[in-house]
Amino acid sequence: MEHMAKLNRRPEHAPQAAVEVRGLGHIYEGRDGAVPALTDIDLTVPAGHFTVIVGPSGCGKTSLLMMLAGLRTQTSGTILCDGRPIPKPDPERVGVVFQEASLYPWLTAVENVEFPLVLKGAPRSERRARAEEMLNLVGLEGFGGRYPHELSGGMKQRVSIARGLVQDPPVLLMDEPFAALDEQTRMTMGHELLRIWSQTSKTVVFITHSLTEAVYLADEVVVMSARPGRILDRVPVDLPRPRTYQMMATDKFGQLRERIWHQIRDTP
Amino acid sequence: MTRPSPQTVRRLIGLALLIAWEAVPRLGLLPELFLPPLSKTLAVLWLDRFIYASALLVTLYEVAIAMLIACGVGILVGAIVGGVASIRNLMLPVFSSLYAVPIVILYPIFTAWFGIGSESKIAFAGVYGFFPVMLSTAAGIRTIDEQYLLAARSMGATLPQLIARVIIPAAIPTVLAGLRLGGALTIIGVVVSEMLTSASGIGYLVTMNRTILDSPRVFAAIIVVLVLSIAFDIAVRAIERYTLVWQSAGRRGASSSTAASARMATPAAASAV
Repeated sequence: MEHMAKLNRRPEHAPQAAVEVRGLGHIYEGRDGAVPALTDIDLTVPAGHFTVIVGPSGCGKTSLLMMLAGLRTQTSGTILCDGRPIPKPDPERVGVVFQEASLYPWLTAVENVEFPLVLKGAPRSERRARAEEMLNLVGLEGFGGRYPHELSGGMKQRVSIARGLVQDPPVLLMDEPFAALDEQTRMTMGHELLRIWSQTSKTVVFITHSLTEAVYLADEVVVMSARPGRILDRVPVDLPRPRTYQMMATDKFGQLRERIWHQIRDTP
Repeated sequence: MTRPSPQTVRRLIGLALLIAWEAVPRLGLLPELFLPPLSKTLAVLWLDRFIYASALLVTLYEVAIAMLIACGVGILVGAIVGGVASIRNLMLPVFSSLYAVPIVILYPIFTAWFGIGSESKIAFAGVYGFFPVMLSTAAGIRTIDEQYLLAARSMGATLPQLIARVIIPAAIPTVLAGLRLGGALTIIGVVVSEMLTSASGIGYLVTMNRTILDSPRVFAAIIVVLVLSIAFDIAVRAIERYTLVWQSAGRRGASSSTAASARMATPAAASAV
């Protein structure tokens, strides 16, 4: 279990907040002039925490995630990832898992996972070993030689997660990673993600439309309003871990879900 | 009773056509001027094998150079037109319209500029084959999934890495479909221009023998062109199989029909852009 030890980046070595957003605003130039997309976003995600962002479509949560990943630049405010600003993507600090399978169809599963290491110029044997290790972590041992079209939707997203983790970044951003999956697979994948998270101690920022998924996964649910997106509420989820499917039937789970639903429903 | 496989049926149809080619003129159903028997055609092909071989060499040389020009320039221009939005908006409507023009009307101008030797054939066929290659390449690059690019950037890809590791592999299937069509058009371009104004090449043999009403030699030249075209098609298929191994891995059998429909869809998509 050597890789477990290596992955087990203990929170006390990391800065207190893995992700810190202060006074962030974003205005984008639309056809009819400037459109405010995000206003007054303050967000602190402690190291090792699992934060889920929910909000209506078009509230700018994906934009926010792109900015956390260094893929887009905000108009105002500051973002600190792992203690430093992130002006451009840095896969050693922030891994990203996208909604649709953004795997490359011309590469096998293991080649997809090692892709970030190829870009970095890592030696072949080293990156292959590391990629295999990640595939084992996400439960895809022996599937490395398959092409994406030979894998199910859930397996593809496992590969995407393995790719996001391959450079061992302290922060993992996930943009509706299970949105395209069927309900059963989605539940299983949520559970699997929690297992992987508990084995790697990553800081996760996860976007979803599903309130059940949000409550099931999160330490804290951040509720955003419709455009211009701002933070309406932060709902701490104090359900014990490890989470189980039975918890979804409890009153507490229902109350948390209800509280979030009220916030989203009441905004125009 | 089991149904024969499509391959068996295809071979039987081919065999039937060959037999008909021999039998129809022999039975006097068609005059030999219209259709000389297969055996007679093959006999003159063998008799004149050195004439046909040297003509084929000329044609092959012209096709090879024209293909290099059509594919090279086509991929280059297509990549620029597909990749740079401002150039695309400026040029693509022009190229798409030009594609619809029967370029063969320009051939007299090509002979005026380049003479009646190989140069005019190469120039004409090169231009003829250029359009589908260029349009497919532009379509292939323009239709790359944004997610592929976004994911690569999130993994820290630089622009050269983005081009080499994402854009090129993602565009290859569409570009290959264009090369297949462009290559076929180059062969057509060379043979047609040889037929129009020339003193050498397979196309010239067709025209020359038709003028003197030597049907077997006309058909012999047609056989040579057929073999050339089919050989090209087999070669391109082999390249596709080798390059696109990921498309068919794990679903052989079922893959051929989807690959074929994808190929057929592409030229239409390319001309629609």
